[in-house]
Amino acid sequence: MRLKRAAAAGGALALLVVMGACSENKGTGGGDEADRVQSGSIATDPKESMGPAAEVPGAAKGGTFRVIRETKISHLDPQRVYSFAGLMNAPLYSRFLTTFKDDGAGKVTLVGDLAETPGTDVNKDCKVWEFKIKDGVKFEDGSAITAKEIAYGIARSFDPDLTGGPTYLQEWLADSPQYDTKWNFKANKSSLPPGLTTPDAKTIKFEFAKPHCDLPFAASLPYTAPLKPEKDTGVNLDNQPFSSGPYKITKNTAGVELVMERNENWDPKTDPVRHAYPDKVVWTYGPDAEAGANRVIADNGDDQTALAWNGVPSALVAKVSGDAALKPRSVQGQTPSLWRLTINTSRVTDLTVRQALNYAIDRDGFIKAYGGEASARAVTTLMPPSTIGFEKYDAYPAGPSGNIEKAKELLAGKTPELVLGISDDSPELATQLKGNLEKAGFKITVKTIPTDAKLDEVGKKNNPWDLYTDQWAADWPSGAAILPVLFDGRTIKAENNSNTAYVNSDEINKEFDRVLAMPAAEQGKEWAKLDKRIMTELAPAVPLFVEQGYYLHGSKVGGIYLSSIFGYPALTNAYVKQ
Amino acid sequence: MTRFLVRRLLSAVLTLFAVSVLSFLMFFGLPKDPVSGMCPKNCNAERLERVREELGLRDPLPEQYANYMKGIVTGRDLGSSQGGRCDAPCLGYSYVNSEAVTDTLARVLPVTLSIVIPAAVLWLVLGVGLGIISALRRGTALDRLAIGFSLAGASLQLYFVGAVLLLIFTYNLRITPVPSYTSIFDNPLKWASGLVLAWVALAFLFSAIYARLSRAQMLETLSEDFVRTARAKGLAKPAVYGRHALRAAITPVVTIAGLDVGSALGGTVITETTFGIQGLGRTAVDAVKAGDLPTIMATVLISAVFIVVANIVVDLLYAAIDPRVRLR
Repeated sequence: MRLKRAAAAGGALALLVVMGACSENKGTGGGDEADRVQSGSIATDPKESMGPAAEVPGAAKGGTFRVIRETKISHLDPQRVYSFAGLMNAPLYSRFLTTFKDDGAGKVTLVGDLAETPGTDVNKDCKVWEFKIKDGVKFEDGSAITAKEIAYGIARSFDPDLTGGPTYLQEWLADSPQYDTKWNFKANKSSLPPGLTTPDAKTIKFEFAKPHCDLPFAASLPYTAPLKPEKDTGVNLDNQPFSSGPYKITKNTAGVELVMERNENWDPKTDPVRHAYPDKVVWTYGPDAEAGANRVIADNGDDQTALAWNGVPSALVAKVSGDAALKPRSVQGQTPSLWRLTINTSRVTDLTVRQALNYAIDRDGFIKAYGGEASARAVTTLMPPSTIGFEKYDAYPAGPSGNIEKAKELLAGKTPELVLGISDDSPELATQLKGNLEKAGFKITVKTIPTDAKLDEVGKKNNPWDLYTDQWAADWPSGAAILPVLFDGRTIKAENNSNTAYVNSDEINKEFDRVLAMPAAEQGKEWAKLDKRIMTELAPAVPLFVEQGYYLHGSKVGGIYLSSIFGYPALTNAYVKQ
Repeated sequence: MTRFLVRRLLSAVLTLFAVSVLSFLMFFGLPKDPVSGMCPKNCNAERLERVREELGLRDPLPEQYANYMKGIVTGRDLGSSQGGRCDAPCLGYSYVNSEAVTDTLARVLPVTLSIVIPAAVLWLVLGVGLGIISALRRGTALDRLAIGFSLAGASLQLYFVGAVLLLIFTYNLRITPVPSYTSIFDNPLKWASGLVLAWVALAFLFSAIYARLSRAQMLETLSEDFVRTARAKGLAKPAVYGRHALRAAITPVVTIAGLDVGSALGGTVITETTFGIQGLGRTAVDAVKAGDLPTIMATVLISAVFIVVANIVVDLLYAAIDPRVRLR
């Protein structure tokens, strides 16, 4: 489950974004991708949005690819998919308006999936967007997918019964978080939500009251999957979605298994990212992380063609990392989920105290308490390295274990008394932080927060804590989905705040507006600059680490890599070695 | 005997009624809002309120309970967010599993039954057999071996025994397949091979207890006057031990076995978790983790049914074994 979601962010989409270094990894799987840095672009040439996808070296068609997971995927209905497992699985049986072409090494290109391009900003004001639908795209029954079915899919996401999915498009179209009261899907099934039109079978048009320059990114989420109205079975579609992708669901037993078989009506020539090498993809539910990993390590029978979705649990990390034979079968890398020690600036008002915290932090010690290098990699930035335009910097260079002397120097004999709020399921992190910060002269009082309530509690404006750990994973790799969401002071309300540092700087807020108004091609570098500026001028948090993914697959599996967008194993290149 | 049976059945119905009322009150009547667990994270206040309406949570508690029970007997119409019509026996709708709770139970119950019943047969035959042989061969090497076996079984935990069995037979020797459930009607061989390790683990641990119990009961019975009298009258050993001593010794074993099988059917959580098989126990735990109240309520009810039915069976067996019970 996504712990946090990026909110909508403005900005201007431009033609091309190319930031950072490109790499040559073709996403063929294996190895440690821990230090990759994202580079990205938005395709403009319709050819880039056409298939077939470039062949994965060594891949072959055939076989059954298996995924072992402890629990079932929470939702399969594309309009309700939002869990990481769901997001990685949905492209196998659904297609969306746009999608990311991902080389598995950090180079991503946003391309059209059902659309010919990632959209046209009609008036160059990000308020009116048009997508032209490709020819030759079909449902599993062979009928053509047109703009009408895509619009119907988006319309049904307004149905309050279909809970669980993202809500960007609905809120943007309705210009309100209460989108389902602004437009009643059940009462208007034959019409479309306000602002959504299909001038012809090949065109879908979005008209927003406010500019939404991130629409091409937002359109890559599964809620833009098409559906024929006569195939809409309401909440029951969750058990048997109607396929528009390379596979169709042939068996779905909740909590037991999900079987997907080739959809003969999917045309690879229309698809820039999917391969559909295996004849069959089977999710097997039940074994916990340890049992799943042990099965894949044993590499017997069907498990030779399996991926252990729950990753390598900490109990097996030493065994797996110490076994050279398992190296080619492991996939490691960073996720976009960044942890930071948030400083409640409404309580900790002295900038030097916040800077001293940044100097004092012992990231190595914290990472050890969290689970070690296999689970986390230290960062000193507010945006994760997987963000387009990312630039590495350290505003408070203190080494991996912190610089206690420098922190003391900044505190100049003061001993600030700070209250650390920490989830009740991670007392070891509180112990580590308390020990670490008290060496620098802080006096830390630990107060636990029930894990289930933590998000709500720290989201309250007048919460009683000075420090708390937070994490953020954006839904697309843009600084626009991170920095303004977390640090724009104008968004602070009584409850449900994402800006949990409660920082509010007029200068920085103006910068957000300026960057968001820029063409997307120029935004990446600007977000990186702003990241550094926020840390230098405001120090509203202590960046800690990005979570690491560590996965194992059987000896006959190839093509697995960690998604540059979500940090989980991508399945579109998977193949079974013949 | 009929009167005895009717009395027991009436008492069972009352027990189940009490359990259903208590669990309903516990889950739906407490101050904690049950909807927050059912509605996903992007639910706003308005949506939460709508779910409350659809679930009938704004109705008085007795009415809610009556509707729930009516659903079990005649089925009921749930809202569109819960899949519409829910046929009897309707136990509600799970937002977590996106299906009627009855469908979930229909899927996981055969799994638990497939684990528990063969395992129970194994542990009873092995445990009682070993206990009796051990009692009859008291002081011999066989007796000492049986005592050692039961000590080992009593002191080990299922998650340990299960993990060792998996490591040896599945991952290293590769004799048994990865544990899984296949319907006995689809493929009996696959059904057995997929569950054999779970049976062995359960049988090993439980039979140890039954071996100790049977041995102690048998030894006590063998020292009774009626056994000595039967032997003095010239009855053959098999007749004395089999017809008289065993019948007297087995009564407490039947009681314990009934309760054990009943509670195991209510959910072999550790077995199912250790072997990665989704049965009733694991479903209940998953439901607790996810705050899936309709599923929790249903698993509590079904577990209560198993316990009550097991008690009735025990009483009936008691009556069959010991005629004095029928007279009371």
